Amino acid sequence: MNSHLVIWVMLIVPVAAACLAVLQKSGRWALRIALAGAGIELFLGLAMAKRVFSSGAATSGAEWLRLDELGAYNLVVMLVVYFLSSVYALFYFDREIAGGKLGVNRARMFAGLWCGALGAMTLVFVSNNLGIMWVGIEATTLLTAPLISVHLTRESLEAMWKYILICSVGVAFAFMGTLLVAAGARSMRIDSEHILFWTELRRNASVLDPAFVKAGFVFLLVGYGTKAGLAPMHNWLPDAHSQAPTPVSAIFSGFMLNAALYCVMRYVPIIESVPGLKGWSSSLLVLVGTVSILVAAVFILAQHDLKRLLAYHSVEHMGIITLGLGLGGIGTFAALFHTLNHSLCKTVAFFTAGRLGQACGTHNMTRLSGSMRLSIVWGGGLFCSILVLIGVAPFAIFMSEFQILKAAADNHAIAVAVLFLVGCGIVFVGALGHAIPLAWGDPGDARLAVSARPAEVAIVFLPLAVLLVLGLWMPAPFKHALLAAADVIRQAGAVSADSLFSMSR
Amino acid sequence: MSVELILTVVVLTNLRLLGASRLGACIRTVGVQGLLLGLLPLATSGRLTTLHVVLLAVGSMVLKGFIFPRLLFWALREAHVSREVEPFIGYTGSLLIGGVMLGGAVWLGDRLVIPGANGLSRVVAVAMFSILTGLFLIVARKRAIHQVLGFLVMENGIYIFGLGAISGIPLLVELGLLLDIFVAVFVMGIAVYHINREFDHMETDKLDVLKG
Repeated sequence: MNSHLVIWVMLIVPVAAACLAVLQKSGRWALRIALAGAGIELFLGLAMAKRVFSSGAATSGAEWLRLDELGAYNLVVMLVVYFLSSVYALFYFDREIAGGKLGVNRARMFAGLWCGALGAMTLVFVSNNLGIMWVGIEATTLLTAPLISVHLTRESLEAMWKYILICSVGVAFAFMGTLLVAAGARSMRIDSEHILFWTELRRNASVLDPAFVKAGFVFLLVGYGTKAGLAPMHNWLPDAHSQAPTPVSAIFSGFMLNAALYCVMRYVPIIESVPGLKGWSSSLLVLVGTVSILVAAVFILAQHDLKRLLAYHSVEHMGIITLGLGLGGIGTFAALFHTLNHSLCKTVAFFTAGRLGQACGTHNMTRLSGSMRLSIVWGGGLFCSILVLIGVAPFAIFMSEFQILKAAADNHAIAVAVLFLVGCGIVFVGALGHAIPLAWGDPGDARLAVSARPAEVAIVFLPLAVLLVLGLWMPAPFKHALLAAADVIRQAGAVSADSLFSMSR
Repeated sequence: MSVELILTVVVLTNLRLLGASRLGACIRTVGVQGLLLGLLPLATSGRLTTLHVVLLAVGSMVLKGFIFPRLLFWALREAHVSREVEPFIGYTGSLLIGGVMLGGAVWLGDRLVIPGANGLSRVVAVAMFSILTGLFLIVARKRAIHQVLGFLVMENGIYIFGLGAISGIPLLVELGLLLDIFVAVFVMGIAVYHINREFDHMETDKLDVLKG
């Protein structure tokens, strides 16, 4: 199939799956259709990515839709997380349906919105027009809000209210930022219809009005940063992540945040090429990233709820990705590598935490202690994923964090490097302090063993194995894909592939 | 009606919102602001009034001037909210902060000059002032409904900027108008309704079970 068509099909499949899922008479079938939709989408996404990485960006619809290396890389990470979460959701909700905790209507609503959100996020990655990209983020916000309160409780409604209020303000800010950039681009001598095309802005960045672009980027960073959970705009995140049903938490943490950060990534190369603004947006990103890491580190120490702990880890890791992005050079490469690492690992962490919580009826870490004795799959998976999250060598997160540290050293940003290390150090100690009793503590009362099906074992341990392999050895095609994606953000050829390879070893 | 006049009245309505003590008055003020903004596309387009501009004007007037105020009053009745505003920051304080925000917006407006926008010199300043006012209302007022109002004012600010600064670009202004407002009132309305039903009140500051 030709690539023009595939992009359209990728937008249609989730919508079709959503419609089909809503029409089902049984909740289980609705969930199966959601899984099938995510599976087809993953297959198409991989096929598209293969084409993009071998023969360059694919466009469609008079350049309104365009998938380049950066988009393709993020798209594939998103689809992998979505597929894993869909498999998990099938089993997770299956138990709830069997236990009578989830009605047919709620299951159908979940499946429909789940597929809809998949479509909206796909739109973010395939649109060349920055206005349409914003529409994708906006639709994602709308569609995911009800997912938080699939189980209607006081807490979940509170979390949904916070999410919708704070994120809608964020989305409005992002829109204002988009408008300001458009206003700054009026001097571009092109058809006004194409003014917000990323390709055009990138090509004509030198004639943009610096004042408007600067104001625009502040709005964009605050707006999309809110959605990405960057401190100090992260207040909605721990509530939403902890109250949402676990498959939703996995998607929120595993990829929705990255989708918003991706939008910031799109603007960085444009802003950096505007005369007089070189280094300005990068320094803002470094600042926001460092603040996020430190804020998250402090809150991680004080957590009692397992899912909230993981949510604050997300704030930390979004901060790390932003920091890498701001440092540039190998930092950009590492930020993208870190995106994959964090997404895979956090998804698994939520899977295990959610299953344990579902079986024990609580996410309180004191009451979940000794989880290894409950289930070696879930307890062991949880312990391993927390270890990976806090950057234990030789897993891939250690590698990407090390590369970001290297980027800070390359930029002679010693203060940033020190703060980064302090933040990671606090997180390491704090999270380990939570994780050890969680794995080996005294369970108190004797409880039932928590079962796991073979497919669940696979979705827990396969991603962890991938992270182990990527930490030790990076396959050449993957490295080239990452480099190509990073080159979309930074000036191509700033850091050669060879020097990167020597650094990452 | 000239653009300058509309913008001036928008600033005045913002100040009134900061100082108003009754929720009903606030909703009406936002409605008036919405009606004025409906006139704005007609005023900015001058002699080039096309069907598209007229549709945009009528659409936003109906939406912002009639439908939203009615929905908000309906939500107010449904939720049995008392009509007092109950601010975190008092009215005098709010107005003082409003003055500071207005100064900041004018300062910002002077730095963001739109080329070729004669007669629209204050458009950026008014837009920024509305955005700041909306943000302030969201942060400094207790009622969920008031936060929706704040969001609408912020929206209006973005809309003013869109019309004044980038009216030549098709679709962009409309995108914001349709989608963002959809977020603000439809979803928030449902959320408000749920929150009210579940907790028997709509004060978002009592939503504090989740901390840390």
